[in-house]
Amino acid sequence: MNTVPLALYVAALVAYGWHFAQRTATLGRSATTLLVAAALSHTFFIGMQTMAIGHVPVAGATSAISTFVWLLALSYLYIEMTTDERAMGVFIMPLLVALQAIPAFRPGVEDRAAVLQGPLFGVHVSSLLFAYASFALACVIGITYVLLFKEIKAKHLGFFYARLPSLTVLDRMNQRAIVIGWIFLTIGIIVGGIWAAQARGGYGAGDPRVQAMSLEDPKIFVALVCWIVYSFELFAARRIGWGGRRAAYLSALGFLIVLFNFVPISYFFSKSHNF
Amino acid sequence: MQLLLVGISHRTAPVDLRERIDFQARGIADALRALADRGSAREAVVVSTCNRAELYVACDEAAATRQDLVRFVSDFNGVPAIDVAPHVYDVTDLDVARHLFRVAAGLDSLVMGEPQILGQVKDAHVSATEAHTAGPVLNRLFHASFAVGKRVRTETGLGSGAVSVSFAAVALARKIFGDLSGRSVAVIGAGEMGKLTALHMKSHALKRITIVSRTMAHAARTAEAIGGASAAPWEELDAVLGSSDIVISATGAASPILTKAHIESVMRPRRNRPLFIIDIAMPRDVEAAAGEIEQVFLYNIDDLQATVRENLARRASEVARAEAIVNEEVEKFGSWFRSRGAIPTVVALRERFETIRRTELERLDFKLSSLPPEARARVDEVTHLIVEKLLLTPTEQLKALGDTETVGAYAEALRRLFALSDQPANEHTEGEADGKAGRVQPFRRPSGGPR
Repeated sequence: MNTVPLALYVAALVAYGWHFAQRTATLGRSATTLLVAAALSHTFFIGMQTMAIGHVPVAGATSAISTFVWLLALSYLYIEMTTDERAMGVFIMPLLVALQAIPAFRPGVEDRAAVLQGPLFGVHVSSLLFAYASFALACVIGITYVLLFKEIKAKHLGFFYARLPSLTVLDRMNQRAIVIGWIFLTIGIIVGGIWAAQARGGYGAGDPRVQAMSLEDPKIFVALVCWIVYSFELFAARRIGWGGRRAAYLSALGFLIVLFNFVPISYFFSKSHNF
Repeated sequence: MQLLLVGISHRTAPVDLRERIDFQARGIADALRALADRGSAREAVVVSTCNRAELYVACDEAAATRQDLVRFVSDFNGVPAIDVAPHVYDVTDLDVARHLFRVAAGLDSLVMGEPQILGQVKDAHVSATEAHTAGPVLNRLFHASFAVGKRVRTETGLGSGAVSVSFAAVALARKIFGDLSGRSVAVIGAGEMGKLTALHMKSHALKRITIVSRTMAHAARTAEAIGGASAAPWEELDAVLGSSDIVISATGAASPILTKAHIESVMRPRRNRPLFIIDIAMPRDVEAAAGEIEQVFLYNIDDLQATVRENLARRASEVARAEAIVNEEVEKFGSWFRSRGAIPTVVALRERFETIRRTELERLDFKLSSLPPEARARVDEVTHLIVEKLLLTPTEQLKALGDTETVGAYAEALRRLFALSDQPANEHTEGEADGKAGRVQPFRRPSGGPR
């Protein structure tokens, strides 16, 4: 059951790749249909888990990844439907498939630790997951920007030239994704801090993980590094003309850090966030 | 019924002959009328563009009609037949379909894959429809050709990529800026080349076109010629560059007028907003090194020509895929066209059955006359339905037959079995042959009601 969304994401990946190469309208529509099917089955899957355990499964690293994939698929579908632009799909799908493979082969939901409660915890996790989905989109848009930029600069107008929207549009989409991601990242970090402060004095006082929630914890430290990178990108794009290619590189760098924080650090290094 | 195409095109005729054979200029409607009056063709469509003049007709006897069409081309255009004849090509039946499909797809065009031809083929069909010279065969043929044109456009890259320098420049600008409305263009130099490129850009709802020239009077004159453009003196060059998105440089200067350092100084206050520089001057106006600046996209005339060549090569590589679509559609049209061979037999068979039905009803008329009118109508209806039911399967089977020989054999068998006349179907049935040929007419009693 938990491999159904993965299988559909893989099918969507194939369809988007095929559509990118062939550029026929029918293939494009089937790719979108497959992705919608994947997202729906994923919604159903997360819904079933929520029913089974009585809360949205976002507490553990594995369920958080699953929810992140789901949010990213929905955000991408939103962008595709509002811009009528499918070229980005082929870059997003591998990420969806790679990440979804983790929950697909680690079935079941981690037990939620008793300390993880209260509305602030929900806000903390959901804003960060949404921020990460935005950053993933910004990264992919940035990569396509660089690919197109290089073709135009090299005066060799080929594969990507024929398939991608204009540089200005890509740059604008990238900026928008970064702004939205930055807002949710900021909210997520602040709310997380408030929650930790409350938990430390109250119901989480005896939990070593809550006590480890400080800047010395790699997960929290790297999250702040992310925030600094994205804040700089926003500042640089507006004040010193670092739009375009530099912004694209920064979005790719920022999302690499996010991914690093999201997967290996969550599983192996963090002392505070291993619930 | 046969399909026949007679025509001349850029492949067979020199331009001076093509200029003299111009149905478009002489009036397509007149040509269609004149052609219909000759009576050699049952249906006709005239496709006339600057690169081709082609007559598509459906006729009974292709060889004779061909002679007449060549005479028509020469008579109508007032060009001696001896001048026309050596350049005329003609094909029949499914080769006509193949030719038209290739034309509609842009495969037969001077510039491979150009998009205008499909519109011209559509116009030709509209004219023929208005002149009532297009019948069921040519209607089907032309609608199929529109589908081919559309499929080739969407499923292959045959029509993709700009194939002229000015289109390539606009396409590049759109790939950098997206929508060009609201963008500003600066033209440096008041010469002809700069003016032409600016004129080409003008159709994209630009915010502003500014002409900068060393001689203000020249700039003002060019600005006026473009219409809606403004002129600026040479001293304001930096300010104009700073506020423009696209720069077209086309001066006659012997050495570069824009150095890398100069453009760098312009880019700083722009905060790296992209600048697209099109250097169409020869010798070049802009230092090649300026292209290294981040967010400066510098293309000279050679670069643009190289992209045009690449696009042409890419189009050529799509030809095989387009031809495959053409083949597929010729196949489809062919099976429809061949199935039409069965129509005269179907019509004759239906007429035979209907005659029997009517004769029997007439014969029984005096016995039925005692029935009330509703019952008589029922009898009529029921006998009609029985005939329809009996004929349904044979009709479908006949129309589904693939090749002409089998159709001929079946037709012969039916003709013998039911003693059908050898005469093919009446003229009027051709007009509605598509699907409901020779439908049995309900039996109608002469007016006056029951006796």
